[in-house]
Amino acid sequence: MGALNGLFGYAFLVPLLMVASFAIVGLAGGRLKRLEWGGWVAVAFSGAAMVVGVLISVGEMLSPSSYTNVQYTWLHLPPAPGTFPNGFELVVGTLVDPISALLLLVVTVVGFLVMLYSIGYMHHDRGLPRYYAELSLFLAAMTGLVLANNLLEFFVFWELVGVCSYFLIGFYYEKPSAASAAKEAFLVTRVGDVMFLLGIFLYFSTYAQAGPAGGWAANGFVFVHGAQPFVPVGTGNGTTLTIAGILILGGAAGKSAQFPLHVWLPDAMEGPTTVSALIHAATMVAAGVYLLAVTSLFLGFTATDSLVIVAIGGFTAFFAATMAVVHPDIKRVIAYSTISQLGYMVLAIGAGFAMVGLYHLFTHAFFKALLFLAAGSVIHAVGTQNLFQMGGLKKRMRLTAAAFAIGGLALAGIPPFAGFWSKDDILAAVFSQLGSHPAYWPFFLLAFAGVFLTAYYIFRAWFLAFSGPTTRDPTLPEAHEGPWVMQVPLVVLSGFAVVAGLFVFLPGFPGLLLNGAGVAGIPPHYGTTELLLSGASVGLAAAGIGLAWFLWGNGRVFVLPESSPAQPVCRLLLARYHFKEAYDWVGLRAVYTVARAADFVDQYVIDGTVHGFERAFAAISDRLRRIQSGIVSDYAAYVVAGLLLVFVLLLLVAPWIVARLGGS
Amino acid sequence: MTSLPIVGFVALSAGLLAIGLFGVLTRRNLILILISVEIAMNAAILNFVYFAGFLGGAPALRGQSIAVVLVGFAATEVAVGLAIVLALHRVRGTINVAETSELRE
Amino acid sequence: MSLEELAFLALAAVALGTAAAALLVRELVHTILWIALFFVDLSAIYFLLDAPFLGVLQLGVYAGAVTVLLLFGIMVTRKRIFSRDAATGIGAVPLALAVVTFIFLVASVGELPQAPTPVASIAPQYLSEALFGTFGPWLLLLGLVMLVAVSGAIYLVREGRE
Repeated sequence: MGALNGLFGYAFLVPLLMVASFAIVGLAGGRLKRLEWGGWVAVAFSGAAMVVGVLISVGEMLSPSSYTNVQYTWLHLPPAPGTFPNGFELVVGTLVDPISALLLLVVTVVGFLVMLYSIGYMHHDRGLPRYYAELSLFLAAMTGLVLANNLLEFFVFWELVGVCSYFLIGFYYEKPSAASAAKEAFLVTRVGDVMFLLGIFLYFSTYAQAGPAGGWAANGFVFVHGAQPFVPVGTGNGTTLTIAGILILGGAAGKSAQFPLHVWLPDAMEGPTTVSALIHAATMVAAGVYLLAVTSLFLGFTATDSLVIVAIGGFTAFFAATMAVVHPDIKRVIAYSTISQLGYMVLAIGAGFAMVGLYHLFTHAFFKALLFLAAGSVIHAVGTQNLFQMGGLKKRMRLTAAAFAIGGLALAGIPPFAGFWSKDDILAAVFSQLGSHPAYWPFFLLAFAGVFLTAYYIFRAWFLAFSGPTTRDPTLPEAHEGPWVMQVPLVVLSGFAVVAGLFVFLPGFPGLLLNGAGVAGIPPHYGTTELLLSGASVGLAAAGIGLAWFLWGNGRVFVLPESSPAQPVCRLLLARYHFKEAYDWVGLRAVYTVARAADFVDQYVIDGTVHGFERAFAAISDRLRRIQSGIVSDYAAYVVAGLLLVFVLLLLVAPWIVARLGGS
Repeated sequence: MTSLPIVGFVALSAGLLAIGLFGVLTRRNLILILISVEIAMNAAILNFVYFAGFLGGAPALRGQSIAVVLVGFAATEVAVGLAIVLALHRVRGTINVAETSELRE
Repeated sequence: MSLEELAFLALAAVALGTAAAALLVRELVHTILWIALFFVDLSAIYFLLDAPFLGVLQLGVYAGAVTVLLLFGIMVTRKRIFSRDAATGIGAVPLALAVVTFIFLVASVGELPQAPTPVASIAPQYLSEALFGTFGPWLLLLGLVMLVAVSGAIYLVREGRE
């Protein structure tokens, strides 16, 4: 046992600290003399949470182990033969293991830095207490999710993450576009959430009836370490488990914005840039990938599931990158890059290398937060998100330009920056599986091509924003760097973006990348093939950067000729493949038709039945009402009739029944 | 000592009760209703007297005593009933029960 | 058929007839006359049954006091004593109820001993002994009820009542 492993029992403090921050800032923040103070409270709490998170992950590094503790048993059902042969328990507990420590590290560090950056970025916004409270709750939910020790608890925090993202994306709720983007994010991820919940039910019903086996604990829901992933149990469960796996993938696709549920993420840019940074790096989208990784490690996917996951991941990686190529909005370009990078993670998990996916999640979190905060710095300075209205910012904002460049290099996968190592691992991992699954080939190639696009679009953005002469309106005030609270996170994250990939060479860090069964997550060895693959991907990335420089560098503006055959493609990309329109159409036509049908059923069948009863009773009571004439004689008649009825029953019917029953 | 057919007496008292019942149900005048009730009451008293003699001895004494008490009750009832008739007449100006239907409200 | 039986049949027929007539005539005062006759007839039946005390009681209380009371009620509630009552149709439902009741009661005779049993005559002095001995509490109760009834009646009809 490592010296720090004793801390694992206090892991629950991390979400608790953030909840405390939420409560304090949310309840008292509005009464402070200066609203930023609420922000400093949140910074202090998230700093404390970061200290705990870092200590825990260092503890895991020094001595990888799994710690689980049940804080509260919510429901306990004794074993019942037939239905629950093992009984059933719903608990609230914490699980500290290498991967949750890894995620905890990412979430708390990025969360703290974003919180700090917000002090500068948000200082002239209204509704600051609300902002910091929601941000705290967001972090609380995410850390809680990471530490959850069973799927239902996981789901609770998952939903909290979802609702916090709704609040934060819709932070500028007076803006109709922000309000609708928040709704969109909530509803689209909701589709995934429903699938996730159904998946939980399916897993539960399968395993609860089949008995303890595989990664499923005897009491049904708790993650258990060291069990072999996916041991098919019972008979005929293959199909059920495949469906359950697909449903879980649906949940993850919703949260992690994978095709075809990707539409909400670019629109989520309506929120403050800091929120985008948090959503894209550490919290929201990471939840989906984490869910996939956890499921793959603890429950396992069937071969069919794996293929579907690889397909979704590989396709999304390329598909999202194409949309980033043409977009004029700096934040949306980065947003598409997030979808694309998440696609890579999903691809790795699908190929059976969950730890590689999480490794990419880890490095990606730093450089993506860096890119967003740098973009935020730019937006803060120039007041626009349109790349074509920037230009030449390099001279005024050296730090930001350098930070964005570092982030871009990391994203593009240029060694030795962070993205190179993890992305390369993903490609190598998938490549190693190509022999066993020929169907992986097209998706591997798509992902490989995505490398080129990634390098191109991010440097297109860099060149447009930072190089060449300024294209800004000269009457506007000069752009300038933000205050120190904004610069410090940029510097720190730049540092991480440079070295995070090298962490694997640190003693201990690979311990975080061991899965429960102690299997090394990092793909195997680096032979000649892998090195060639690496070289090819770096070459592609370099080519992408070169193309970007050729088309956009030094103030050049590349305009696609009107007559170019690529013009329709460009328009299609700008229109985002018309996905939103298609969804709107589906929403309007299909859903509306169904709603009309439901309305018909409601009005005529259900209401008809109800009103029918109502009318029947009204008619009956209308008849009965006439009995109440108010005339004494009538009442006397009823009394006499009733009396006679009693006589009849007593003297005729009762003896008859007695005779029948008694038989005598 | 006399002997009279039981069927006749039962038929008489039953007939009187039926007449009284019919009167209560059909008459609208409160005094007529009161009279109907008296007829029915007399049917009951007649029964007591007849079956008292029918049984003879101590039961006969008991039956006739009850009959005496019942006559007293019946007279009391008429007094109270008439008081109600008068009160109703003063308040509503009629003793026709068909015109008093407050019970409906 | 003995003389007594004949007398009984005649008296029974008169009783039923007068009772029905009392309810069917349209003049309220005629009703009183018919009901007085009915009470007298019943009193005769009591004498026939060798219950002379009850016969006298019937004459005094019913044929005397109750009839006068009823007449008094009619006089007070009518502007003119001889006035026709409102419509007094014979409803089908009340008639049916009455008939069914009658049939029921007569049918119950089958449950009783059928033989004509001699009816015991009871001398008034024995009755008075029983009334003031064994049935003393009953008489007291009757007195109490009468007191309450009279108080209630006075309360109901007293002047100035809203």
